[in-house]
Amino acid sequence: MMSITEEDFELELRSLPGVVNVGISHDESDEVELVTLVIVGQSPATIRTQATQIANLYFPDVTIVVEVADSATSMNQVSARVALLIADFDEKAGECEVQLAFEGRIGVGRAESGPLIGGVEGTLAALRNLDYEVPYYLDAVTTVPTIRGWPVVVTLRSSADDADLYGIAQSDGESLSAARATLNALNRFLSNAPH
Amino acid sequence: MAGDYEPWLFQAMLDELKHNELGIGFVYSLLELVAQRYGLKDVTVKLVHDTTGVQCFRLGRLNVDSDILTRHGRSAEVICDPDVVPENERNAIRTACQLSLSLHLARYSSAHDPLTNIANRRSFDTTLEAAAARSSRYGWPFTLVLADLDGSKAVNDRLGHARGDDLLRKFGFALRSSVRKGDAAARIGGDEFAVILSNAEGHEVNGFLDRLSAVLASTGNVIGFTAGTASSPRDSVDPTELFRIADARLYAKKGINLE
Repeated sequence: MMSITEEDFELELRSLPGVVNVGISHDESDEVELVTLVIVGQSPATIRTQATQIANLYFPDVTIVVEVADSATSMNQVSARVALLIADFDEKAGECEVQLAFEGRIGVGRAESGPLIGGVEGTLAALRNLDYEVPYYLDAVTTVPTIRGWPVVVTLRSSADDADLYGIAQSDGESLSAARATLNALNRFLSNAPH
Repeated sequence: MAGDYEPWLFQAMLDELKHNELGIGFVYSLLELVAQRYGLKDVTVKLVHDTTGVQCFRLGRLNVDSDILTRHGRSAEVICDPDVVPENERNAIRTACQLSLSLHLARYSSAHDPLTNIANRRSFDTTLEAAAARSSRYGWPFTLVLADLDGSKAVNDRLGHARGDDLLRKFGFALRSSVRKGDAAARIGGDEFAVILSNAEGHEVNGFLDRLSAVLASTGNVIGFTAGTASSPRDSVDPTELFRIADARLYAKKGINLE
């Protein structure tokens, strides 16, 4: 049976961007001896450096092998979605922090001006931190009274004369709703955007 | 859900759960179970998750297969060689494996800071309370170290948050590299970090701070840090009081009087 430490080690390796497969072998005394990583769309040297840093924390003597899957593999890779991890408004600092995940990377965006505007602009900043070129800016954000609560509606205006985008979401807290509504508005753009 | 499972598989999974939590290890256990049942040479499960993307798990983990994505399309599935496993069982295994991976990721992310991969405030508080309780009951010493990055706000303002985040990542890595087994390191706020050094006082604490400075220098991290410490049981056995003392000592080093 794997130890929790070994599970965490493998999970950290799998969280590196581009890693799609991890193999771990043990020596005769059941110590971790060799790790093989299969990657797509990333530099082997970068992944090897990051994996070595992680391995140093768990199993310092391990050997790391990085294999690059062929391009057909990467073409067939399931398109990952941007996932919202955190949208927190710090009342003391007056700042909203949004964290997004995409293919194992974390993008962080921060913005001021309250939980609604901060939630939207923090999300746009987090996407840009993930290297998305987002040609939209905040036009309007508001809460709307409904029978079931107060969802947040976001309007994003294109900086390239494309149509406005609209998003709506209702979650726990205004900043979280604003972040979700922003991603809702950008849904189609994100699934087609080159990255 | 049980209605979709063959009885042997359902029972085997229940038995497995008696000594194995749902997690990555459980994924491999399930593959092992189905391989034994059908005498298979090879079983692979391909899973998909929002944060990790496509992930392949293969029995005998060394033998990774870089062609598996090319040969088997885009969806999550179980691939068996020879292909003798009924579809409903493969679906059940895939569902259970998907659940295991999701739970593992959820458990990990609820306890860790995503930027630095060290513990977050919530799990650190739990660890600190346990250490304080042991210290109070048995007299086992430990030291709480609070560390603040110097000038990180200026880095954010001048060079941007991406550079600031990079510094935080490097500091988190340096902390993980510097603590000993059994110690705990956490990011507890924006640029605030905390460490529990088990069975450590005086020169062991200085040794840790020296190691941390050396690792930081080796990562090319030019930013410094200020640390304040409080030891249990010498200073207090109350976690809140230990935090207050360490915080006051940290701010005193920065020339700020909290009183």
